[in-house]
Amino acid sequence: MTDKTAKMNVTSFRPVRAPRLAWSFFRIGAMNELQYRSNFFLQLLQSVLTLGAGLVGLAVVFGRTTNLSGWTRPELLVVMGVFTMVGGITNTFVVPNMQKLVEDIQRGTLDFALTKPADAQTLVSVRQISIWRSVDILTGLIVLIVGVVQLGDNNNGIKGATSLVMLLLLGSWTIYCFWLILASSAFWFIRVNEMQELFQGLFRSGQYPVRIYPGWMRFGLTFLVPIAFAVTVPAEAATNRLTGITVVVALAAAALFGIGSRWIWRTGLRRYSGASA
Amino acid sequence: MTIPPARIQVEHLEKVFAVPVREAGLRASLRSLVHREVREVRAVNGVSFTIEPGEVVGFLGPNGAGKTTTLKMLSGLLQPSGGKATVLGYEPGCRDPGMLSRLALVMGNRNQLQWDLPAMDSFELNRAIYRIPRPEFVEMRDELIDLLDIGELVTKPVRNLSLGERMKVEIAGSLLHRPTILFLDEPTIGLDITMQKRIRSFISEYNRRYGATVVLTSHYMADVQALCKRVIIIHHGNVLFDGDLATLSQKFAATKTVVVRFEQMNTSTANEVGVPDLSRYGTVVSVVDGAVSLSVSRDQVASITAQILSEHSVLDLTIEDPPIDDVIERVFADGVSGEAVPGD
Amino acid sequence: MTNTVTEIVLQDQIRASRWRSMISLYWMLAKTAMQARFQYRASNYFYMIGMVVEPTIYLVVWRTIAESSGGAVGGYTAGTFAAYYIVWTLVRNMNIVFTPFGWEIRIREGELSGQLLRPVHPIHYDLGFFIGWKVIVIVLWIPIAAVLSLAFHPTFDPSIEQCIVFFVAIWGAYLIRSMLLWVLGMITFWTTRVSALFEAYFMAELLLSGRLVPMTLMPGWVQGLSWFLPFRWTFGFPITALVGPISKTELVVGVLAQIGWVLFGVLLVKVVWRRGIRKFSAVGG
Repeated sequence: MTDKTAKMNVTSFRPVRAPRLAWSFFRIGAMNELQYRSNFFLQLLQSVLTLGAGLVGLAVVFGRTTNLSGWTRPELLVVMGVFTMVGGITNTFVVPNMQKLVEDIQRGTLDFALTKPADAQTLVSVRQISIWRSVDILTGLIVLIVGVVQLGDNNNGIKGATSLVMLLLLGSWTIYCFWLILASSAFWFIRVNEMQELFQGLFRSGQYPVRIYPGWMRFGLTFLVPIAFAVTVPAEAATNRLTGITVVVALAAAALFGIGSRWIWRTGLRRYSGASA
Repeated sequence: MTIPPARIQVEHLEKVFAVPVREAGLRASLRSLVHREVREVRAVNGVSFTIEPGEVVGFLGPNGAGKTTTLKMLSGLLQPSGGKATVLGYEPGCRDPGMLSRLALVMGNRNQLQWDLPAMDSFELNRAIYRIPRPEFVEMRDELIDLLDIGELVTKPVRNLSLGERMKVEIAGSLLHRPTILFLDEPTIGLDITMQKRIRSFISEYNRRYGATVVLTSHYMADVQALCKRVIIIHHGNVLFDGDLATLSQKFAATKTVVVRFEQMNTSTANEVGVPDLSRYGTVVSVVDGAVSLSVSRDQVASITAQILSEHSVLDLTIEDPPIDDVIERVFADGVSGEAVPGD
Repeated sequence: MTNTVTEIVLQDQIRASRWRSMISLYWMLAKTAMQARFQYRASNYFYMIGMVVEPTIYLVVWRTIAESSGGAVGGYTAGTFAAYYIVWTLVRNMNIVFTPFGWEIRIREGELSGQLLRPVHPIHYDLGFFIGWKVIVIVLWIPIAAVLSLAFHPTFDPSIEQCIVFFVAIWGAYLIRSMLLWVLGMITFWTTRVSALFEAYFMAELLLSGRLVPMTLMPGWVQGLSWFLPFRWTFGFPITALVGPISKTELVVGVLAQIGWVLFGVLLVKVVWRRGIRKFSAVGG
């Protein structure tokens, strides 16, 4: 055993290792998937079709009215764009890992995560990637830009763009934490797959700003399933509707979900390794 | 009303596949976009035989020999490229319901029963599919349950059964309509010895009780030896031998295998492994755990055996026919001409 | 009892009464499906609740528009929108049939071969099984509809004829979609590169069926186009049959259109199946 390995085995988890780990997995995952070029076209088609359906929906809506609960058409385009982008980010980086995690828990093949010299949560969260789903990020961005341009003076300019990006990342982080909680429930429940499907269905509600939904729905879609933080809040940044309170609440939610998900993960992991001992 | 006899007649049956060929490399990939190159694979190359009702016949041959392809053609799953086949008086390719309700094709690890439900429920479903009148259905079902000893298994969801248990239940499900022709493709694959034996004895009993014609393919010689009087050896799509097992051995086995177990070593001729060197008596096939297998030509068996017994201290000595696999390999090697070698 | 005697009796009775055995088969298929599906109660519910999200979104959006446009838009009030989208959930479930994407797996894993060995056309398995699912779905749907009604206050007042036509129409929709999606799936016999085609089909269906919005809210040319396609007859028609507003003539026209599409679907299945099986048994098996 060389000095270097000795050092690696002795040091405990360091936050800085996560990005490097993520990058290695990303490279391998990307190289693997890039082989299947036909998947790119298929994904592009799917992305365009889904987005197209959403836009058609918007077109029909705005054929009959000029604003929806105070949101104008360009603003809704921004929301649709952010929605698609967040979907792309989630489906590329988060969902593949979480689905694999559930599989591993159900099959009992999670042991590898417990025996590597890196934090288990990081490992299971970065090892897979669905690179072709990132097409959604691109198509969503296009729609977003179109919406922002159409807003003209009503958008926030550079300040809006920066806060959009930051809140987007924050919101994606919150969604990731939620997904982790969902996947971790596999430590206790057997049939988690349907819960995942349910969430994917619920996520669609993000294509419209959460504020238009009735009170009880709004509450659920903000604090139970953090779709509001993932989509509506970043969209508000770009459409100049952002308030200080919203930002604070978003930060608090991200922190709470982060801590909560980590706690649930660790509890579940203990249960898992206890069970298989 | 006449019931068609459970006879299988095959004349010059052929099956040719067109397999796309593509070499590695960028240029080949580009070329393949424009011009698809195809290679002809003759899976079955003019096979002929007749199987009379009630016979139990084994198809033997290495992987890719054409056994499964032939079975599929005989059950209507695959259309022949040439030749003619008649099963139960029907042409299999027409997939006449009259034929389908009288035959069964059981493939090793296929699941046809409902996964989440007890086998009993799937049996009821099969009854409806095959339109089996209730009294006959109940009688057959109970007989099968008895023969296969699956009484306790049929009330458990299929997903909770082990592989061997599942096989038994699947077989039961496939026979509820009391087929008179049974095609079995590798029926004992992946099962442990006990289970293999049970399945074999079941097949033999089914044939005896219902007079069904059974054609089975297998890798396991034990299956064939236990069940089949008649063997059809298929290789490269041709019939190399069609006759009974005993004739096969006689005709093609020029040697016998002498297996000698030793008590103590004769130190002057001991080799590193710790058993005496017997290579001057014949060809040493293997040395395993102090037992030496020796291949000796048939006419010399008696004298060699006597020599070994007198010159060494022997614990145990047996004389066996060579493994049928070896015999068959020889058949493959010798029967390259492609003509059927008839048995007696 | 000798074997030959048993066999004679057996084969004799097999020929008797084809209709009765068909009904018995469907009953067994549906029963088996119900039994198998019933075990997964929780997952059924998750699945259905997830499905309810889509119409709820549409409902909220259009209700908002109706309210801000003076109570109604395109002839629909908030109440009738609620009715439309709640009935939507049932019709959506009735429309679920064997997915064309499943054909590749079915062929690859030998399930189709297993089906071909039996003396029954494989389409009956799908039709029968899914009927069983539908029964469970209908039962599970009732509480969901109740909850949605409490939340969104639908208004509708169907006549007896409307109810009858609705009941017929949802099964007509089931048959039509079963046939058409079977034909789509059978394309897999010729090529496995079908995903794009399926996606495009479903997208067209989404826009032209009344699933996104009631067809009367779509521009004229879209409505015109949808008359000639099966989509509106499988989705929009059953909903409007129950929810209204719909005239007696339109009810009759709708039923006739469904019958036409069912017949067309059956014919298409027959033709494509014969060709498809020929192709399959030339190479596959």
